[in-house]
Amino acid sequence: MKFDDQKIRNIGISAHIDSGKTTLTERILFYTKRIHAIHDVKGKDGVGATMDSMDLEKERGITIASAATYCEWKGYEVNIIDTPGHVDFTIEVERSLRVLDGAILVLCSVGGVQSQSITVDQQMKRYKVPCIAFINKCDRSGANPFRVIAQLRTKLGHNAVAMQIPIGLETELQGVVDLVAMKAMYFDGDNGEDIRIEAIPQSLLEEASAKREELIDAASIFSDELTEAILEEKEITPELLYAAVRKGTLKREITPVYMGSAYKNKAVQPLLDGVTYLLPKPSEVENIALDMNNNEEPVILNSDPEKPIIALAFKLEDGQYGQLTYIRVYQGTVEKGSTIVNVRNGKKVKVGRVVRMHADQMEDVEALCSGYIGALFGIECSSGDTFVSPGINMTMTSMFVPKPVISLAIVPKDNKSQMAMSKALNRFSKEDPTFKTHVDPETNETIIEGMGELHLDIYVERMKREYNAEVSTGNPRVAYRETITQRADFNYTHRKQTGGSGQFGRIAGYIEPISDAEFVFENKIFGGSIPTQYIAACEKGFKQSMAKGPKLEFPITGVKVLINDGSSHAVDSSDMAFQAAARGAFREAYLRAKPVVHEPIMKVVVESPVEFQGPVMGLLNQRRGMIIGSQDEGVMCVIESQVPLAEMFGFSTILRSATQGKAQFTMEFAMYRQVPQPIAEKIALEAAQNKKTAA
Amino acid sequence: MIKKEIIQRNPLLNLGYDHEYILPTGGFGAVLAYAGVGKTALLVQMALHAMMNEQPVLHVSLNDAVSKVNVWYRELFHDMAAKYDSVESNEFWEKILIYRFIMTFRVEGFSVPKLEERLTDLMQQNIFKPHTVIIDGLKFDESGRGLLLQLRELAKKYSMRIWFTVHTHRHEPPKENGLPLSFLHVADLFDVLVQLAAKGPEVYIKALKGQSPDAKQDALLLDPATMLIK
Repeated sequence: MKFDDQKIRNIGISAHIDSGKTTLTERILFYTKRIHAIHDVKGKDGVGATMDSMDLEKERGITIASAATYCEWKGYEVNIIDTPGHVDFTIEVERSLRVLDGAILVLCSVGGVQSQSITVDQQMKRYKVPCIAFINKCDRSGANPFRVIAQLRTKLGHNAVAMQIPIGLETELQGVVDLVAMKAMYFDGDNGEDIRIEAIPQSLLEEASAKREELIDAASIFSDELTEAILEEKEITPELLYAAVRKGTLKREITPVYMGSAYKNKAVQPLLDGVTYLLPKPSEVENIALDMNNNEEPVILNSDPEKPIIALAFKLEDGQYGQLTYIRVYQGTVEKGSTIVNVRNGKKVKVGRVVRMHADQMEDVEALCSGYIGALFGIECSSGDTFVSPGINMTMTSMFVPKPVISLAIVPKDNKSQMAMSKALNRFSKEDPTFKTHVDPETNETIIEGMGELHLDIYVERMKREYNAEVSTGNPRVAYRETITQRADFNYTHRKQTGGSGQFGRIAGYIEPISDAEFVFENKIFGGSIPTQYIAACEKGFKQSMAKGPKLEFPITGVKVLINDGSSHAVDSSDMAFQAAARGAFREAYLRAKPVVHEPIMKVVVESPVEFQGPVMGLLNQRRGMIIGSQDEGVMCVIESQVPLAEMFGFSTILRSATQGKAQFTMEFAMYRQVPQPIAEKIALEAAQNKKTAA
Repeated sequence: MIKKEIIQRNPLLNLGYDHEYILPTGGFGAVLAYAGVGKTALLVQMALHAMMNEQPVLHVSLNDAVSKVNVWYRELFHDMAAKYDSVESNEFWEKILIYRFIMTFRVEGFSVPKLEERLTDLMQQNIFKPHTVIIDGLKFDESGRGLLLQLRELAKKYSMRIWFTVHTHRHEPPKENGLPLSFLHVADLFDVLVQLAAKGPEVYIKALKGQSPDAKQDALLLDPATMLIK
């Protein structure tokens, strides 16, 4: 085990679905000699790409859960997290970015900056992850890497600069010109493993010089030495140029762009050079933990293997040897046999096996030191937990976790399936914070909740395949919410006398809508009309009422409760009595506060050939969608819209048939919005029917 | 309340343009200014004004992506509505949003037949029928008179009025009527022309053409954040 932080790179590979990131990862593993044969995604050899280790991923040709692996390139250890491209699995992307120091943003040279690239880019911005871009599929018909560079500038606001230019394009793609070394690179051999370096072809010399000038110009902002060399017309060495570009990359003020074709084995090795030259080593990235003993004061961590341990469990997997916990060590060294503490529950655990992962194969190691990504065996924890050395109490900043927007009832076929299902659900909800599960107390059904139809679909499939749990599913249900639209006063007395000590509590005040919080409680009682010890009970009672609306029984959000008067009884008042009074007061005011139903609205972005623009807009319009706009991209167009989730079920099939399978779409949660009256009436009817059935 | 205030502080109504929609059906209007002074912001304000009156606005941008144009609207609206209750302003925003459609083209890919094709797509399916069109980013020195004549025909055919942004250059001194030389060859096609000018941190708006003869000739001072009269 080496402890040279200088030569570690923790990188992610993020991109729009189908940009070829899993293929790229496969090639990287091949060139770094971690694997000895190349298997393609949806490959004819039936093996599938190495990083798509789940059966389901191999079958569908998509990466669902990120797998971690490491490889070595020219003395550098590169830890790679392969990340899913579909937006339903965004939490996986977010979790990966949280633990990475740098990323490769893969773009398709034909599709360019697509909707999911924008989402992924926003996530990278959120976690300040420096990135380099790789324009893939330069062998495809219609490939135009410079258009993609222009889009990186206009659509994502990146200061994108080409590090290379292609030698030929589409079927003529032969290699690339390295603008730093000013040499042509060709990739020979069966799998492009033999790099042939030659002089730049005469026909490309002028273009290469112009693009090198652009690169030098962009990089000079970050280096006085480079500016000096330019002004004094000295030779600009590769070291000088790389150092300047690196500075800009680390600040996220420049995005170096590489290009090639992973599938055709062209120019993957120079990209690996780019990773080692331009992306940061772990100690160059500022990582912050929160000191739990000091009011969650942020503390900057020191990437020193000798310091106390701070590590984050960012992913869990259930393997044949028990739970596998992926961790990123930010500080200290996690050694086999050492004791670490889970900050969330204070439990001490002894570290057993420590491994480094290569997709679903593993390699035992003695320790993981700061900056490393690896996995631990036999540690019970949840995803997102922080592990520390005994005696310190710090937690890594919590990750942004969106709330689920869709739910589904699942029913196991038999007793055996019931057992397997609960085991699976327990595992999934630990692995994925956006996946939630509960039992509906009225229908007794098990409900699973998630971020989209595909998200839940994949988990139901995984239940069947990995846990042999045969389950039938109900119709997907949308997570509606209720809210109020106007202020309403209440003055409610709860009085009960059924022998023994009675119950008494009176609460007065009002409820009103708020837009920036789910629930706010304000106490404006002066003179002790409600004794202080019962105020908490009042708040609890109101909060309880928010869980289920009195009419449609959806959770209520956006309500401010203010209490300003009340009365109590020396003997009959109690916490219970005031909780009941609060519930009664809420019921009394709620219907007068004009409640409405809100539904989740999804941001739906469709990319379609221009000739189908009209029909696609029609489809969105029929689904109560509001079209925000359409963007002309030459032969393709991008239609951005907001559509209620309730109308999106089965949309992919309909879109495919309306566009001869040529359009694709991405969908993510945007906001909650009020349901139109006729639809609200329909929802109320359905809710009443469901209630009847449950009864 | 928000609607009333925004309408009252609309700079064009205060400059002496007394027509209900400022432009007649099939008419052209333009905002002239140097880069960065606030042409787009002023036209977005005009669009918001129309949207508040339930008049659908088609915003055609030849520079920016849909998301960026959307941000223009959202920011400007929320700046204007900042002093109002957030629940009320959010509700109002949601209400007027249905009166806006953004279309973006690459400058080189923009043509009137293409725009008409897109418009027909929208109108035939009853998705959107614009009352006002905003075209942001058209280059007047490069686009010939022909393109504007075609647009004028389109505006008449579909009973729309069109607003343009006109980017003027510092190296090009204005003629006596305040118009730059590169715009003179098409100026007669426009019913309304206004000019934005920055003096230090302040922005002024001045009517160059089409205002009522009785109107005051002074320039008005605008709030650069909202483009409303200060």
